[in-house]
Amino acid sequence: MIEAYMLNKHFKIYETKKGFIGSFASLLSTKHHIVKAVNDISFSIEEGEFVGYIGPNGAGKSTTIKMLSGILHPTSGEIKVGGLSPQKRRKEVAKKIGIVFGQRTQLWWDLPLRDSFDILKEMYKVPDGKYQQFLKLYDDMLQIGKFMDTPVRKLSLGQRMRGDLAAAMIHDPDVLFLDEPTIGLDVNAKTSIRAFLKELNQKENKTILLTTHDMDDIEQLCSRVIVINHGQIVLDGTLEDLRRNIGLPSVMEILYRVKPNISEISLNGIEKMKWEEEKLVIDYDRSILSSPHLLQNVTKWGEPVDIQMKEPDIEEVIQKIY
Amino acid sequence: MVYWILLQKSFMRNMQYKVAHLINNAASAIFGFVFIAIWVGVLQGKEHESPYSALDMTYYIAAVQCILWLSGFLTAGLNIQNGVRNGAISLELVRPTNFFLYVTSQEAGRLLYNFFFRSIPIGLVFALTVGFYVPQHLPTYLILCISIFLAVIISINLHYLVGISACWTTEIAWAHFVNFTLLVGLGGQLVPIDLLPAPLSFITPYLPFAGAIYYPVMVFLEKASSEVLFIQLFWAIFLTLINLWLTEKARHKLEIQGG
Amino acid sequence: MNLYIKLISGSLRSRMQYKMNFLVSSLSYGLIMAVDFVLLAAILQRFDDVKGWNLYEVGLLYGISSVAITLYRVFCVEVHNFERYMIEGEFDSLLIRPVSPLSLLLTRNLDLSRIGGTIQGILILVISIIGLNIKNVELFLLLIYLPISILSGVIICFSLGLLTATIAFWTQRIKDFQTFTLYAPFNAANYPMNIYPGWLKIIFFTVIPVGFMNYTPILFLLNKGGTLWNLALPPAVAFVFLFLSLRFWHFGIRHYHSTGS
Repeated sequence: MIEAYMLNKHFKIYETKKGFIGSFASLLSTKHHIVKAVNDISFSIEEGEFVGYIGPNGAGKSTTIKMLSGILHPTSGEIKVGGLSPQKRRKEVAKKIGIVFGQRTQLWWDLPLRDSFDILKEMYKVPDGKYQQFLKLYDDMLQIGKFMDTPVRKLSLGQRMRGDLAAAMIHDPDVLFLDEPTIGLDVNAKTSIRAFLKELNQKENKTILLTTHDMDDIEQLCSRVIVINHGQIVLDGTLEDLRRNIGLPSVMEILYRVKPNISEISLNGIEKMKWEEEKLVIDYDRSILSSPHLLQNVTKWGEPVDIQMKEPDIEEVIQKIY
Repeated sequence: MVYWILLQKSFMRNMQYKVAHLINNAASAIFGFVFIAIWVGVLQGKEHESPYSALDMTYYIAAVQCILWLSGFLTAGLNIQNGVRNGAISLELVRPTNFFLYVTSQEAGRLLYNFFFRSIPIGLVFALTVGFYVPQHLPTYLILCISIFLAVIISINLHYLVGISACWTTEIAWAHFVNFTLLVGLGGQLVPIDLLPAPLSFITPYLPFAGAIYYPVMVFLEKASSEVLFIQLFWAIFLTLINLWLTEKARHKLEIQGG
Repeated sequence: MNLYIKLISGSLRSRMQYKMNFLVSSLSYGLIMAVDFVLLAAILQRFDDVKGWNLYEVGLLYGISSVAITLYRVFCVEVHNFERYMIEGEFDSLLIRPVSPLSLLLTRNLDLSRIGGTIQGILILVISIIGLNIKNVELFLLLIYLPISILSGVIICFSLGLLTATIAFWTQRIKDFQTFTLYAPFNAANYPMNIYPGWLKIIFFTVIPVGFMNYTPILFLLNKGGTLWNLALPPAVAFVFLFLSLRFWHFGIRHYHSTGS
């Protein structure tokens, strides 16, 4: 469904000068260095796969998505989406894909959700019958009916994301690119969006490529994970493969009433311990050390005032793959 | 002195965009060339019918284009309306600083910037192309400084008046537009006000708009007596008093209604 | 076409949510032009003419030029405010649609508050035509040609707007250019070109060809000179200029495809 072969994207970074004239001066200057944002990437994604595409900020995730959707043209390499090159046949490819940018809505800010849908219906030339089906189906799946007539600017972040997701599906694309769809959402909103994406993938057999900073998104949704760092693929495999490499990284923060005097703890599965005043931060691997087991231990060391479980930082997780 | 610091900060803030402004100055000069061309075209062969020669009008328009950046193109409502909209004004009004000076000193900083990076470069462009008048008598320079100073005060006050009206109306787009149109229309931006048709030409010399543009330009061209300063002075004081009074009114209103 | 109607009606509805603001701003734009023209009338009432052009004759030029630029401001508002797409990175979201980015920009929004300026310009045209008091064939020819002249003006204005917008692919910001490429030239085109010094005339008949839209044809239509060619030139220049600006625009998009910034 999606194929990338020896994909490269190099940016020339010119020495930029400040200010208005500066932007002109930099036009003429030839001083530059080349940044390889994407460096010899190849992968092939089959129909119906749900792929997590992860990596630290600036690793080349967005650049790849932009190339797959025809926004950017690769410096070299081949891309095929649904058998077509997005570079040469951008408009045809656009009809086969749906895109959601979590950071930015594609709905019309001042208009009710319904109007945005009407406009997109015309833009993608969706027949009336199919459109009615769509409205009904997505009201069932995303409960968008309740706020169909509210202007987009008045929607909550979670509602807007649901609207954006439905808008991306209006022309019934086979492929869906999601760039950080859960960013900034609360737990409830995240849960409902994940349930929707799962259904989309399993019932409708949509091919989905997802970038995220949230490990839970990956664990709950993706059957396959591609990890990219410094423009290169460092891992391409199943969720199991990722686990084997990094385990189930978790973070626990324990605030003690009095800082206990514990010098050495040797618990299998603890990767890092750090004291911040009375607070102890533990990085551990859930596949080796279960959370209840660790909890038992930390209460033995002293009197905890507060215990919090945290998501690990994806940047740190990626580092482990080396 | 906090107002002096505000003035400096506002000056420096504008400095960041000076290159963009310099390019804009070229366009401002082109506007001037167009107006000059109109007058030269109109007066061709008719200079005897007019109190102004073509050269007079060239100097006039050139001087107007420069002074517009000091007393014509001010920030709409001096941005007071933004404070009203987001509620920040209640905070600003209870500060130990004088709100009127707080707002006007920032605009003054911008105008000081405009003087160096807009008026002077635009004046230079005219000096190098069509010519720029140089006052012949030494006292003119002193009177000119006073006249420009009063013009700036009048214009800042007119804009403050528009801005503070937001406390009652919230929307000032309309008021700003009326103010700006009167300022350039009756202030003599394109037509010296003594050339306006009959009823207007009697009234306009006594309105504040003439004090903002027309009089300083005429002083500069040595075509007005120093008595015009009194008209300017009257408006400067009158408008300042009105604004101080309105500021107190606004403070009362916000204290009672809580914004 | 259906899409266009949907988009336009959408844009209308979102505008209407701020009714008062809308009314005030459209009145303002119209009136500010009126004052400008009244001042010109004040000059010409006293001095009769400017280099052989009386008030009504200048009024024709003034009307065509202001109707053209305000129609551009109404219909091409997103092209005019294109720097937003560069600064806020919104251009990407146009490139993921199965429609060309330019048609998306043109259909995205309408700035109806500028229509006040258009009405003002049409009023000036009507007053001028009545004031000119011309008859029969000449009047007929003038009335027939006015729409062509205005349309040529809109196309020239759009081309200039698009050329300026394309610069944003490299510089991001274009507001300061617009004073240069749009506001100043269209202000100049309100008046007959023969009043300007040579170097300005050259600019207005070459790189910023605003002189063609009104001065060239009106010269012939008012029997002030020129040949029938004066009537053929405006649309011809407009389309050549449009073609060039579209080429430049596509060049800009290709640049964006390869740099994405």
